[in-house]
Amino acid sequence: MNLIEMNSICKSYRNIGFETQVLNNVTLHIGEGDYVSIIGPSGAGKSTLMAIMGCLAQPTSGEYILDGEEVGKLNDRKLSRVRNEKIGFVFQAFHLLPGVTALENVTLPLVYAKQTPGNAKERARELLAKVGLEHRLHHTPGQLSGGEQQRVTIARSLINDPRIILADEPTGNLDSKNGIETMKTFDNLVKEGKTIVLITHDSEVAQHAGRIISILDGQIDSDSGVHRERNTLSL
Amino acid sequence: MISSFLIAFRALFAHKTRTFLASLGILIGIASVIVMVAIGKGSQKEVMDVIAGMGENLITVNAGEMKRRGGRLRLTGNVNTLTVRDAYRITDEIAEVEMVAPFEEKRMVAKFGNNSAETTIAGSTRDFLIIRDYHLQSGEQFSERDSKTANRVAIIGMTAVKNLFGEEDPMGQVIKVHFIPFKIIGVFEPKGVDTNGLDQDDLVLIPLSTYMRRIVNQKHITRIFVRASSRNNIAKASEKIRELLRENHKLTDDRNDDFTLVSQLDLEELKKETTELFTKLIVGVAAISLLVGGIGILAVMLISVKERTREIGIRRAVGATRRDIIRQFLYESLIIGFLGGGLGIILGVGLTLGLTKWGHWILILDPNSIWTASWACAGLGIFFGVFPAIKASKLDPMEALTTE
Repeated sequence: MNLIEMNSICKSYRNIGFETQVLNNVTLHIGEGDYVSIIGPSGAGKSTLMAIMGCLAQPTSGEYILDGEEVGKLNDRKLSRVRNEKIGFVFQAFHLLPGVTALENVTLPLVYAKQTPGNAKERARELLAKVGLEHRLHHTPGQLSGGEQQRVTIARSLINDPRIILADEPTGNLDSKNGIETMKTFDNLVKEGKTIVLITHDSEVAQHAGRIISILDGQIDSDSGVHRERNTLSL
Repeated sequence: MISSFLIAFRALFAHKTRTFLASLGILIGIASVIVMVAIGKGSQKEVMDVIAGMGENLITVNAGEMKRRGGRLRLTGNVNTLTVRDAYRITDEIAEVEMVAPFEEKRMVAKFGNNSAETTIAGSTRDFLIIRDYHLQSGEQFSERDSKTANRVAIIGMTAVKNLFGEEDPMGQVIKVHFIPFKIIGVFEPKGVDTNGLDQDDLVLIPLSTYMRRIVNQKHITRIFVRASSRNNIAKASEKIRELLRENHKLTDDRNDDFTLVSQLDLEELKKETTELFTKLIVGVAAISLLVGGIGILAVMLISVKERTREIGIRRAVGATRRDIIRQFLYESLIIGFLGGGLGIILGVGLTLGLTKWGHWILILDPNSIWTASWACAGLGIFFGVFPAIKASKLDPMEALTTE
């Protein structure tokens, strides 16, 4: 079964009477454990696609089934729960809470979880150790380098053990060394069974994924996964 | 719930100056409410003390109709129907009356040696001292015999003492009123001004019989002071006095009273009205300052929401619902309200106690005002926090995240 199933998704924004079509009839299926890159020039609709995929925005029309649940029809409370439990976000601009320690930033999603596990702090420490920040637990984002901040973000995205990691230009603000480190982390997460959707305009970064989807003008331009599926079938 | 509260608390703690400034309006508002109400209560008590000081359970019967002119009660017309006999019938026939003191007074010039001063020469009976709560500082009360024989003795108030004797001891001295010599046998303790602002110490009291015979030579009097047997009986006693006097004065139903009754309760009621008006005015002013304080919260919260748009986006992305966001910001405004309120209560109570102790003001702390103030700041916090909180919750998560 597909973890992510988007059928004929359209998204348009109405701005001062003008309607701008950002996504136009996108159909996209991603299976559990897949490692997918979405590439495309800026303005192609990558970020909007990710927003819908991450339940941060609702499609104007079309059907989005996430983990067997039609999320296009969910109310705010349920949608928030989906974001909280099933999706981990990694952003280009990190989006950590300023003035709050790394440890607390990592546990932030648990604040809004249905149940806060008793070992929340312990788990956050483990995750920070996993991304190599065991010595930076009590530092605030301002005291951390860009690479370190990105690793805190990754640790935060994992705290609720989500099935999907959505990463929006995760290497965009990093130097090449930190970029490579970050990509290695993602590679390892896929091995652990996470589904990763990577949005990037960097084709080198995109190559890490097993499947590359190219978006152009709000539509899928090409999808290497289609070939792969076919290849798998022919095997 | 608790976590939202903690988030709000920490956000406020991170912006100490802004939080303090936001709560400043509420702080000043609440403090001023408490102090002003205390001032109002204090002045009310002061007035009530003066009324009580005029004599316990006092009913005054005045000859003629009393009218309020220029803020003071004044007698109108010249009525000669009120007599000493009326006074004694009141004590004899009305069970609710404890005692009476018929009274007559006149502004006259008194002389001591080369000093002369205008003062109130009053004639009354021995019970006058009890009914009107006058106490002797030195000397003694005039005797039954003094009254019977219309003896020329006088008890003198402090103001008259100062005007006539200066620093000299008045006891045993002789003053002249209308060329009639009076021996000073007692001096009153100072009593201050009455509710009309008249000096109650500018007084020379002589036996009523002496007054009627030697000073004025008349039968009618202008006033009777009556003490009711208890506070509860004041109204009943007043009613019975009215009936008795109307009957005594042979007033038919179509004629108005030729006397005016003013009881302690009437005076209290009258003064209460003015102090209550004052209190209402205070509350109005305080409400405006609290409203301004609330608008302060509103402004700061709106700025806070705008400034933290990205934070709201982050929280939404990791699973915060709209309701979580509303709660967070509502808690913030509520905490600001309580902070301002708490500090305001401390400041208000401190000022009240300080002014009482060192400023020698009469302020009375009203627990009700503190209680109301607490509710007011909670209410203001919520009321002026709702709009910014809803605004925050309505932000589109994706747009919020990309806001710079």
